[in-house]
Amino acid sequence: MFAVIYQRFASLTFGLWLMGSVMLCMAAGSFVQGEGSAINDLPLFAWLREVPFKESWWLWLTLGALGLLVLNTILCSIESLRQKWQRGSFVIRIAPQVMHLGFLLIVVAHLQSAIWSNKQTMPLQEGSKISFSDGHRLQLVNIQASYDKRGMPVAMSAGLRYPVGSSVQDTTISPNHPLFYQGIGIYLKDVALEPSPAALIEIHEEPGAGLALVGALLFTLANLVLLGKHSTAQRGQK
Amino acid sequence: MKWLLLTSIALSMFGGFRRPILLAGIAGELIYLALRGIDLGRLPLIGPHDTLVFFSASIALMALPFLFQPTLKDNDMFRWGTGFMVALFALFSLIFPVFNMPLPPILNTLWFELHVALAFFAYALFGLGAILGCIFLSRGQKQILDLQYKAALVGYSFFSASMVSGGIWGYYAWGTYWLWTPKELWTSILWIFYSFYLHLRLKGSGSERTVAWGGVLGFIITLFTYLGVSILMKSSHSF
Repeated sequence: MFAVIYQRFASLTFGLWLMGSVMLCMAAGSFVQGEGSAINDLPLFAWLREVPFKESWWLWLTLGALGLLVLNTILCSIESLRQKWQRGSFVIRIAPQVMHLGFLLIVVAHLQSAIWSNKQTMPLQEGSKISFSDGHRLQLVNIQASYDKRGMPVAMSAGLRYPVGSSVQDTTISPNHPLFYQGIGIYLKDVALEPSPAALIEIHEEPGAGLALVGALLFTLANLVLLGKHSTAQRGQK
Repeated sequence: MKWLLLTSIALSMFGGFRRPILLAGIAGELIYLALRGIDLGRLPLIGPHDTLVFFSASIALMALPFLFQPTLKDNDMFRWGTGFMVALFALFSLIFPVFNMPLPPILNTLWFELHVALAFFAYALFGLGAILGCIFLSRGQKQILDLQYKAALVGYSFFSASMVSGGIWGYYAWGTYWLWTPKELWTSILWIFYSFYLHLRLKGSGSERTVAWGGVLGFIITLFTYLGVSILMKSSHSF
C-alpha cells in the first residue's frame, strides 16, 4: 500500500498533472484578481488571512498544487538518482537534479518572503528623517530631478545621511540604486520639486531574496551545463 | 526608415521561394533595428512598435541556424513559415506609432535590457518550435521533432535567464523580485508550460504527436503572455 502511494507520488505523470494544475490555477488567478488588490502591499500570508476566500481561492489552490509539486520533485529526484546512479555521465545525471534543487530553493525563498516580508511607503519632505526601531535615524538631505523638454523625468535622486558607528555617512539613492541599510532596502520611487522638494520613499524587507538568487543561479548554471552536454552529445552522434 | 522595414517585410513574406530572399529580408530587418537603436542610443525595447520589431527580428535571428540545418535546408514549409511569422509581427508593428521618448529612470539599467532581450529570444525560439511542430504534424519526420525540442530547450534556457535577470532588476527597482501581477503570473505559466513540455518528452516515443502539439500550444501561451496580457489585462508590467 505504502509502496503504491510512494510510486504514485514519485511518478512523472503525477508531476505533469501537478504542473498542469498550477498553470490552470495561476491562469484563473490572473483573470479573477481584482483591480486595486492589496496582494503586493502585504506579506502574502497576511493577505491570504485578510481577504475573503472568494477572492483568494485560486491562490490557495495554487499553493496546494505547488506543495504537492515540491513533494513530487523531491521524490522524483531521489528516484532518479537511485535508479541512474551507476549509469552514464555524472554531469548528465546530476544537472537535472541541481535544476530541481534550484526550483525548490526558489519555492522556499518565496515562502520566507510570504511570511516575513515588509513594505512601507512614505512621502518625505527634504530635511525630514526616518526612524528605525533600534533608534537610528536616517535623514533625507536633498532631492534632485531633471526633466526633458516635454516634462518627462529623465533622472532623479535623493541624498541620504545615515549613522555608521559613531560617525555619519552620505549616499545618494536613485531608481535602480537603493540603499541597503541594516538588511532593509530604501528605494526612491518618485520626486516632486514643487511646491517644495519631496520624495516618495519605499522601505522593503525581502528575506527570501538571497535564497531566491542562489536557487536561480543554481538552476541557470545546471541548465547551461545540460544544454552544453546536449550539444556535445549531438555533435558526437554526427 | 519605414521603407527599409516595409522592404524587409516584403522580402521575408516571399522568402519561401528561395532562401537568399528570406536572408535578405532578415538582413533588412536587422539593419532597421540597428539604425533605430543608434537613433535612440539604446536597445529599442519600449512601446509596442519597437517590441514587435524586436520580436520579429529575434525570430529572424534565431531562425538563421535552423535555415542551415541539413534537415531544413531544402524545407520550403519552414522557410514559408518563418518568413510569414517574421513579416506578420513586423507588419503588426506598423499599426503602432514610433516613440522616441527617453528611457524612464526605472528602466535605465542593463538588467532591464537583458531581461527583455532574453525574453524575446526565448519567445522567438518558441515561435520557431511551433512552426517545426506544424511541419512534424503534417510530414511526420522524426528529425523535425528533435529540432523542435532543441528550439524549446534553448528557448527555455533563455527564458529562465530572462526571469533571473528580471528578478534581479525587480529587486533593485521595486524592492522585490516578484509581484503578483497578471504579467508575472503568465510569465510563470509560460515557464511551467515549457518545463511541462521538456518533461513530457521523457514519456517516450508514444507521445510524439502530443509533444509536437505542445510546441504549438506553447507559442499560443507565449503570444498571450506577450500581447494578450498587455492588451486585455490591467498590469503595471506591460509593453
